[in-house]
Amino acid sequence: MDEIREIKNLTRRAMLQRCGMGMGSLGLWSLLQQEGLAGQRTLAPKHPHFAPKAKSVIWIFTNGGPSQVDTWDYKPALAKRDGQTLDGFDRFTGFFANSVGGLMKSPFEFKQYGQCGKHVSSIFPRLAKQVDRMAFIHSGHTESNNHSPALFMMNCGLPRMGYPCVGSWVTYGLGSSSDSLPAFVVMSDPKGRGLPKGHAANWGAGYLPSVYQGTHFRPTGDPIDNLYRPREMNPDQQRRQLDLLRHLNQKHLDANPYEEELAARIESFELAYRMQSAAPEALAVDQEPKHIQKLYGLDDDKCKHIASQCLTARRMIERGVRFVQIYSGGMENQRSWDGHNDIKGNHSQFAAETDKPVAGLIADLAQRGLLNETLIVWGGEFGRLPIAQKGSKPGRDHNPHAYTNWMVGGGINGGVSYGETDEIGHKAAVNKVTVNDLHATILHLLGMDHERLTYRYNGRDFRLTDVAGKVIREVTS
Amino acid sequence: MALFIAMLTSVSIGLAQAEVTPDHAKRMAKGLAIFRDGVGQAMKQRCVKCHGGGKIRGELDITTRNLLLKGGSEGPAVVPGSAKASRLFRLISHVEKPHMPAKGEKLPAGLIAKFAEWIDMGAPYGEVLLDSKLAGGEMQITDSDREYWAFVPLKMTSVPKVKNSQWVSNEIDHFVLSKLEAAGLQPNNPAQHRALLRRLYFDIIGLPPAPEEVANFLAAADGNPRAALESVVDQLLNSPHYGERWGRHWLDLARYADSFGFEQDTDRNHAYHYRDFVIKALNNDMPYNQFVRWQIAGDEIAPENPLALMATGFLGAGVFPTQLTEKEFESARYDELDDMVGTMGTAMLGMTIGCARCHDHKFDPIPTRDYYRLITTFATTIRSEIDVDLNPEVTKADLAKWQVVHDKLAAGLARWEKESLRERLVAWVKNPPAESAGKFEWLVLDDLKIKSLNGAVFKRQGDGSFLLTGNNPKDDRWVITTELKSKALTGIRIEALAHESMKHNGPGRADNGNFALSDIRVFIESLDGGSKRVAVKLTNPQTTFEQNKEGLSVASSIDADKKKTGWAVDQGGIGKDQTAVFEFAEPVGFADGVKLTVELDFFTNTSHTIGRPRLAITRHPKPVPLKGSAQVASVTKLRAAFKDADNLDEFSEKDLQMLLRAYRTLDREWLKRDAKLKAHLAAKPKPQTTKVQISSEGYKPMKHHADGRGFPHFYKHVHLLRRGDSRQKQEKMMQGFLRVLMRGAKDEEKWQQPKPNWARTSFRRKALANWLTDIDHGAGPLLARVIVNRLWKHHFGRGIVNTPNDFGLQGEVPTHPELLDFLAGELINSGWRLKPLHKKIVMSYVYGQSADFSQDKSQVDAENRLYWRCTPRRLEAEPIRDSLLKVSGLLDTTMFGKGTLDPLMKRRSIYFQIKRSKLIPTMQLFDSPEPLVGQGARPSTIISPQALMFMNNAQIRAAAMSLAGKLETEVNSQAVMVGYQTVIGRAPSLREKQATLVFISKQEESYCEVGRNDARKLALADFAQVLFGLNEFVYVN
Repeated sequence: MDEIREIKNLTRRAMLQRCGMGMGSLGLWSLLQQEGLAGQRTLAPKHPHFAPKAKSVIWIFTNGGPSQVDTWDYKPALAKRDGQTLDGFDRFTGFFANSVGGLMKSPFEFKQYGQCGKHVSSIFPRLAKQVDRMAFIHSGHTESNNHSPALFMMNCGLPRMGYPCVGSWVTYGLGSSSDSLPAFVVMSDPKGRGLPKGHAANWGAGYLPSVYQGTHFRPTGDPIDNLYRPREMNPDQQRRQLDLLRHLNQKHLDANPYEEELAARIESFELAYRMQSAAPEALAVDQEPKHIQKLYGLDDDKCKHIASQCLTARRMIERGVRFVQIYSGGMENQRSWDGHNDIKGNHSQFAAETDKPVAGLIADLAQRGLLNETLIVWGGEFGRLPIAQKGSKPGRDHNPHAYTNWMVGGGINGGVSYGETDEIGHKAAVNKVTVNDLHATILHLLGMDHERLTYRYNGRDFRLTDVAGKVIREVTS
Repeated sequence: MALFIAMLTSVSIGLAQAEVTPDHAKRMAKGLAIFRDGVGQAMKQRCVKCHGGGKIRGELDITTRNLLLKGGSEGPAVVPGSAKASRLFRLISHVEKPHMPAKGEKLPAGLIAKFAEWIDMGAPYGEVLLDSKLAGGEMQITDSDREYWAFVPLKMTSVPKVKNSQWVSNEIDHFVLSKLEAAGLQPNNPAQHRALLRRLYFDIIGLPPAPEEVANFLAAADGNPRAALESVVDQLLNSPHYGERWGRHWLDLARYADSFGFEQDTDRNHAYHYRDFVIKALNNDMPYNQFVRWQIAGDEIAPENPLALMATGFLGAGVFPTQLTEKEFESARYDELDDMVGTMGTAMLGMTIGCARCHDHKFDPIPTRDYYRLITTFATTIRSEIDVDLNPEVTKADLAKWQVVHDKLAAGLARWEKESLRERLVAWVKNPPAESAGKFEWLVLDDLKIKSLNGAVFKRQGDGSFLLTGNNPKDDRWVITTELKSKALTGIRIEALAHESMKHNGPGRADNGNFALSDIRVFIESLDGGSKRVAVKLTNPQTTFEQNKEGLSVASSIDADKKKTGWAVDQGGIGKDQTAVFEFAEPVGFADGVKLTVELDFFTNTSHTIGRPRLAITRHPKPVPLKGSAQVASVTKLRAAFKDADNLDEFSEKDLQMLLRAYRTLDREWLKRDAKLKAHLAAKPKPQTTKVQISSEGYKPMKHHADGRGFPHFYKHVHLLRRGDSRQKQEKMMQGFLRVLMRGAKDEEKWQQPKPNWARTSFRRKALANWLTDIDHGAGPLLARVIVNRLWKHHFGRGIVNTPNDFGLQGEVPTHPELLDFLAGELINSGWRLKPLHKKIVMSYVYGQSADFSQDKSQVDAENRLYWRCTPRRLEAEPIRDSLLKVSGLLDTTMFGKGTLDPLMKRRSIYFQIKRSKLIPTMQLFDSPEPLVGQGARPSTIISPQALMFMNNAQIRAAAMSLAGKLETEVNSQAVMVGYQTVIGRAPSLREKQATLVFISKQEESYCEVGRNDARKLALADFAQVLFGLNEFVYVN
C-alpha cells in the first residue's frame, strides 16, 4: 500500500526512469496500465520478492493425465488386490461411468534406483537414474475429472477458462532477461496429434496484459508470426527501410521530446530486427555437437521430436527465456497420456517418447552448471484410477484424487518423496497437496511470495493461488 | 456455517468456565437487568452500526456476547467482571483513544456508569443485537452504505464559475476549467485543425480522414471553425462506421465471441447477430436504457422485434465448457449464472458483483444473499437458436400488399357467386353438360362419419375433403363409415391434400409436412343387415409419390406389418397433393345398398397423420385409374333431389347453400375464378427466417456434447451456496436485486410486475431490467454514471472514474464528480441518447485542445488528471488494421453478417469471427482482449512483435503494395506527397521529402540490380511501409 502511495507521488518521468533502470517492482504494472504508460519495458527484468533458487522453468507437461501407479507411485498392495472389486467406488469418479472394472495391478515392473532407493516403473530406464536429483510429490489432487478444467487448474490455478497461467504470472513477476526472444515459450506436439484440450487458454494471460501470454512456437512452418522479412527484400533493403523509419520517427520524437512512448516504439523496431535472427538461431538445434544431439535422443526416431524440443528449451533458457512449457502428447485418448484403452501400450509409447530427451536435458543442464538455476517440472493435469477401464485391452480412467509430480533443479531437495496415496494409489492420503500448493512452491523457488504476487483487475487483487496455496518446504532445499 | 457456530460455542464455554464464581448466577441476573435497562438499547443505537451491522470496524462485532468476548483486531473488547480492564469501557469513557462512539457525541456519564456496572457483572446479553445474527451474521445494508458517492441519486449542481470564460465552449468546460484554475493551471491552446480532425475521425469512426476530407475541413474551418466542427461531428456521428467503432468498445465489455471456449471450442455459428445488434443499436442512437433492457430481456420486452431478440445474445456470450461430466453439471451451471451476472455487473453497473459469490463482498456492500437473489433472475435462461424473421417490416408490407389482392379476388368471387351461381345451377340442372351427367370415375365420399380414436378434429371442406385441426395426437386410428347405393365397387382412393395450415403445407401433420399411413382396412356389410361385415381384400396399390420402395411405400400400408411400415411421402412429395388407390380383389356391393367402413392407422412415426384426407370409391373396371374425374357424393344426392323439385325455393336455405357449394365445383367458370384465388393464396408471402442465437427461456437449448449424459442445461431453482460450492446448498432463493441500489422503500415487487398472459418466460429478467434502469428507486443513476464515464474514457483516454469497471469502494474516486453527474443527467434528459452526449463532449474546448506537453504543467499534474492537454494515445488493434486497409485502398466496407477467421479479410476488424482458441494474432498483438470476462480498458503495450508485424506481415506488405500501385502513376516527388497525405493526413516537410526521395531511388536501384522488373513499385511499397511504421500513424494527438 505504501509503495502505491509512493509511486502515485512520483512524476511521470521519474516513474518511467525508475522503471527504465530496472527498479520496477511487482504490482506496478497495473498502475502503469491505468495511466496508459505501459511500454515494452514491462518485460524488463524485475526483482523478485526474495533471493530466488531458480531463474527459469522448463515444464514437461505430460498431457492427458499419466497414471501414478504405473510410473512413480509404487503400490505393491495393488498387485495383491488385482482383480478385486473396489468397494464403495463412486462410478462417476472417472469419465466413463459404465466401464468400471476391478482393481488392476500395473503392467510394468518396478525396481529401486539411486541412493534414495526410489521405486520406478520400467518405462523410465533413463529418468530412473536421475531420481536422486528429483523431488516427488505423490499426494497431488485436483478439482475436476475432465481434461480442460483440470488443465486450466494445473496451468492457471482455477478449473475455469480465462485466468492467467503460471508462465504468465512468472513473466509478469520477473520480466524477461532476453531482449530478442519471447519471455514465455510453449511447444506443442509436433506429430499432428493436436493441442491440449482448451488450446491456447492453457498458456493465456487471462486478465494480465497480453504481453505475458505464452508464445506458441508452431511445430511446423514458421515458428512464430512475422519472423521472416518479405521474400522480395534482402537484408540491406530492409535495413535501409528501417533506417529511414528510424530517421523519420526520430525527427518526430525530437519535436515531441517528452513522449516517452514514442521513443520506446522506435526502440521496439530495433529489437524486432534482432529477433529476426535470434529466434531462428535459438531453434537451430542442428548447430549442437553430435554427442549432445545424441544425449537428448535426436538420433532416435521414437523420441527425436521431444528431444528437439528439450534441446531447444535448453538453448532458450540459456538465452534468457524465463518459462518454457513442452507438451508431451496432443489431445485425448491414444494421442496423449490419456490411457483409457491399453494403458500398457499407451504409457510405454509416451514414456519412450520422453524418457531419453528429458533425462538428457537434466544431464545436459547439470554438466553445464545450469541445473541449479533451472527448475524442471514433470506432470499432467490429473492421475488415473487404480481400477481398470474395461475393454479388450484394459486402460485406466481419469482420477482427480491422486497424481504424481516431480521437480528437479534449482532449489529442489533431491531424492525426497513427499506425500502419499492410499495403499492402492486411489486417493491422496498423507500430506495432501493441492494445485495451489504446487504453484506456491514454484513461485517460491523463483523468489516470489504467491500471496504478494497480485494483479488488480475489475476491483479485485487476483493471485495465481486464488485464496489458498502453501509452499511445500519439504521438497525445497 | 454450522462449523462456525460450533467454534464460537466452544470459545464461549472456555471463557465462561474461567469466570465462574459462586455468585455467578446472581451477578449475571443483575447484569441482565442492566442490559435491559438501557445498555442493550445504547449498543444497538450507537455501536452496532459499525460493529456488526454490516460493517465490522476494527474487526470487532458486538452483536452477540460471544463475538464481543472474542474481540477484534485489538484483542478482547471486554473482560467480564472488570470494566477497568475492558477496552470497551476505556474507549467509551475516553480514557483511551480512539474515543468511542467514533461518530457523534460521547455517551452520557450515567450511561457510561451503567456500562461499567454491566461489565463488572459479567456483561450478559438479553438478546442478540441484530436479528440477522441468528441467521449467521450476514452483512446488512444500511442507509449509510447508500450514501457512497456512486450509489447516491444524481446530484445536479449548477455549472461552476470560471475566470477565463473565453475558454468555454459548453458546460463541460466550466467543470474542467474551474478545477484547472483552482490548481493554477492554464489549459493548452486549441489543437490545429488538422490534428483535431484526425482525432475526431479516429475517436468517432476509427478511421483516418481521406486527403480531400482534410482539405475540405481545413477550408471550412478557416471560415467558421465552430460551424465546420459541428458539421464534421454530425457527419461522423451519422456515419455507419460510428457503430463499428463504438460497438467494439461495448463488445469488449460483453466478452463477446463466436465460440464456447474450453475443450472443443465449438463454434456458435449464429452468435454474430448480437454483434450486429450492437452496431445497429448504436448507429440508430437507441436510447441507452433500452439498449441495456433489451440485452437483459429483449425477448420479454419486445418479443416481436428481431433486434430485441438479437440483443439477448449478451447473456449467452460467455465461455462454457463443451465437455462435462455428471459431477460438473451443476457447478458449471452456477459458473454460467455467475458469468451472466458478473458481466452484467461490470459492464452496466461498474460493480464487481461476482466477488460476493463465496462470501459477502470484501469491500462493497453486496451480501452473498444479494448475489444469489440476483442470479436467480437467470435460473432458467439458456442459449437457444431460433428462426427469426430479421425483416418483419418487409414481410408485413409484402403481406399487406398481398392481402389487398387477395381481398379483391375473394370479394370478386363472392360477388360473382351471389350474382350468377344460382342461375347457373338452374341452367345446369336443366341442361346438364355431358361430362357431368354421371360420367365420372370417382365418387368422393363427403357424406360420411369420421372419428379419430385420439381426439383429432375433422372439419368438412367444400371439396369433399376434411381438414384436421386441433390436437395432433402421437398416433391415431380413424374409423370412417358411409352408406352407398352402389354395387360392384372396384376400388378405393385416398387423397392426402396439401393445405397452408400445415407445416411446409403438408400434406401430413408432422413437423416436416410428412405423414405415414401404417395400415388401411376396408369392410362392407349390407344395409338391410342380411350379410355380416366382411373385410375387403385390397390389391394393386398405385400412388402419385412414395418415399421409398420398401417400408415407406404405398404397398407397405397393406402389408402384413400393421405398425412399423406405411405409406409416406417425404423427399419429394412434401407440400403437394398425393393420391393412393387400391383395387378391391373382387367387386363388392349389395343391391339394396352397402355400409362401407374404412379404417386408417397412423402408428409408423410420431404425430404423422394425414392433414387433409379425401376418400373416393369407384366402379370403374380394373385397372382403376389413379387420376380421373370425380364428383362429390352429396352433390349426386342433391342433384337427384333437385331434379324432382320445381324450383330452388323449395329447398331450405341450408340445403340450397350446400347444393350451391357442391355445384360450383362442377362449374367451369367458377373453377377458373377459384383457381385464380387459389393460385394467389399459394403465393402468400412467407417470412424469410434466419437462425439467431438468443438467450431466453423455454426454447430448445443449443446442442451440447453432454446431452447424451443427460445434461439438464439449467436447474429450476437457485440455492444459496456455502462458499460458492454447489455441493453445499442452503435454502432456495427468490429473485432480488442489490439492496444497496434500492431506494425509497422499494421492494422487488415494484419491479416484478405480473407477467402477461402470453408469457412463455418467467419475466424475471424484465424485472431486473426495470430495476437496472429505474432512475428514481433502482440502479438507474449508477447505470448512467457508468456509461457516461465510458464515453469520456474513450474520448480522453482516461475516465473521470479511472477504474471504469469498478465504481465500488476499491475503485478510484471520480476526478470531477460534479461533471460525472452533470453528464449522467444530460444523458437522461436527452432520453438516454448517446450521440448528443458525444457531440457535447467533442465540441467542448477541453476535448479540442492541443496535445502539447508542458513541463511546468506536468509538475503540477503529471498524469493530466485535470485535462490541461490532450493526452496522445496509441490506436487500438482494430483502428490500426482498419486504417491500413483504408489508406491502401483495400477496405471493404460491407457491414454485418457472419465473420471469418481469415486474417487477410478486408472488412473492418469487428467482422472477424472470434473463436476463442484461434484469436486473430494481429488483434492480440495490439492488446485486443481475450473474450473471457468483460474488459473496460485495454492496456496499450509496445512490444517488438508489433514492430515485426509492421516489418514482415503479409497483409501489411499487401497494403503497401496496393498503395504503391496508386503512387506508381505519379512522379516520385508527387508520390511522396500523395503518400504522406493519404497515410498521415499531411504534406511531408522538405527534409522528410528529401530523405524519402533518396530512399526510393536507392531501393529502386537495388531492386533493379537483382533484376526485378517491378523495381519502382517495390521501392514505393517499401516507402509506403515506412509510412505505416511512423509513430504519427499509430498515435493520435
